[in-house]
Amino acid sequence: MTNSMFALIAEELARIAADKGETLPVLGPDTRFLGGDLPIDSLDLATLLVVLEQRTGQDPFRAGFVQFNTVGELAALYRPAHSHPGLPAGSL
Amino acid sequence: MSLPPPSWLHPGLRLIEAERGVGWAEISVQADAFETVFRASGGRVVLPPQGVPALVAALVAAERAGVELHLSRRTDVMETGRAPDGPGFAVLLETSGTTGTPKLIRHDFQRLRGRLRGAADPDARWLLAYEPAAFAGLQVILTALAAGATLVSAPGAGAAELARLAVRHAVTHISATPSFWRAFLLALDGAVPPLAAVTLGGEVADQPLLDRLAERFPTAKLRHIYASTEAGALFAVGDGKAGFPAAWLDGGIDGVGLRVRDGVLEVESPRAMLGHEGGWLSTGDVVDLRGDRALFAGRLDGRVNVGGVKVSPEVVEQVLLDVPGVRDALVQAAANPVTGHILTALVVPAPGMEDMALRAAIRAAIADLPPAARPRLVTMTGSIALGAAGKKTRKGTA
Repeated sequence: MTNSMFALIAEELARIAADKGETLPVLGPDTRFLGGDLPIDSLDLATLLVVLEQRTGQDPFRAGFVQFNTVGELAALYRPAHSHPGLPAGSL
Repeated sequence: MSLPPPSWLHPGLRLIEAERGVGWAEISVQADAFETVFRASGGRVVLPPQGVPALVAALVAAERAGVELHLSRRTDVMETGRAPDGPGFAVLLETSGTTGTPKLIRHDFQRLRGRLRGAADPDARWLLAYEPAAFAGLQVILTALAAGATLVSAPGAGAAELARLAVRHAVTHISATPSFWRAFLLALDGAVPPLAAVTLGGEVADQPLLDRLAERFPTAKLRHIYASTEAGALFAVGDGKAGFPAAWLDGGIDGVGLRVRDGVLEVESPRAMLGHEGGWLSTGDVVDLRGDRALFAGRLDGRVNVGGVKVSPEVVEQVLLDVPGVRDALVQAAANPVTGHILTALVVPAPGMEDMALRAAIRAAIADLPPAARPRLVTMTGSIALGAAGKKTRKGTA
């Protein structure tokens, strides 16, 4: 897992939660997306993935579903950081 | 009074909802109370969402009273005084449209039960992963009732909570949408429920998901079901592969005739809804033939499935185009590993329109749409490319 990917996930997840009027607890690599303490549902998780694709230009799920449960597991699916930090995410 | 249960309800049945278990004794009491009310109703009654035990009691009472039972999916509908569509006991279900008023479909109860195997299976422990008053939810409920099984339910709960319940109650049977299964797999920790039957329906089951499920639940019987509210449950595919055998287009399957006309699957089913006896029904599902396999390739009307909800990108696009400050908009479906698809939007702002203000206006406009129909990513752009025919090119809707 790369630190920059972890930070990107934390940033976008916080934005998604804020749009719902929710605040995130502190995230760690073992934080679970669904079924844990995060105030997000599967549509929010789907949103995170589409935003990450836009910001990194990568789609780790192109070939199909890949199992992940935690923030760390998702971060590890992306190649190390050639993200486009200048690109606005524009998540609603 | 205490009447015996109807033939379609095995007395060993157990319903667990909100951690409270009830059996026939409790259901019977509630059915008696409903029956009195239903007999005075004039032939048609509406049941708002009240959980599974009340729904089962209402079915029992409606059959005894010989009335139409409208299983509403919304609490805010108080429709009264409507005359029944026909005589006797029948079940009215709402279609799951994302816009406009849902259509009411009248189902003969015996036909609804037409596909269910009656075998008793008191050791089965089902999890209800659909809305109780949805067509697929009712199928699960009726299956569990006939089997005398345990049915675990938690209306309104998400996949994560249901995954916890599945583990806690050692659930053996789950029928759910592919989107639910993806979220379910994401929510499961090390512990997995002892599933003997994994059933998918309501959306196209893709090969990677079928493979993941077979790997996670190697001893479970894996099936995907093809059904629709209008045509009823049609067939099940049990070979672990996406789509269905192309040979079924010649000989039919399970008494259901299948054919492809102009690329669209048509069916002739003895289990079609009332009023559609005989004749071919278009399913609106586009089918691709590849070798010995028929694969689903999207909807004719362009609707896509977002987390089990059918949404129309075109309708959502109209909503965006109505927002002041939006000069043009294109709503597209992007494939998504969690929800199957998700809507994204390209928006061309009117000159001088400020980005933050426009985003706020768009957010307000889509707040009235169901969550699945809201574009989750809105990208501002200078122009939207047109295809060769002068129309916007809507990718992702296959």
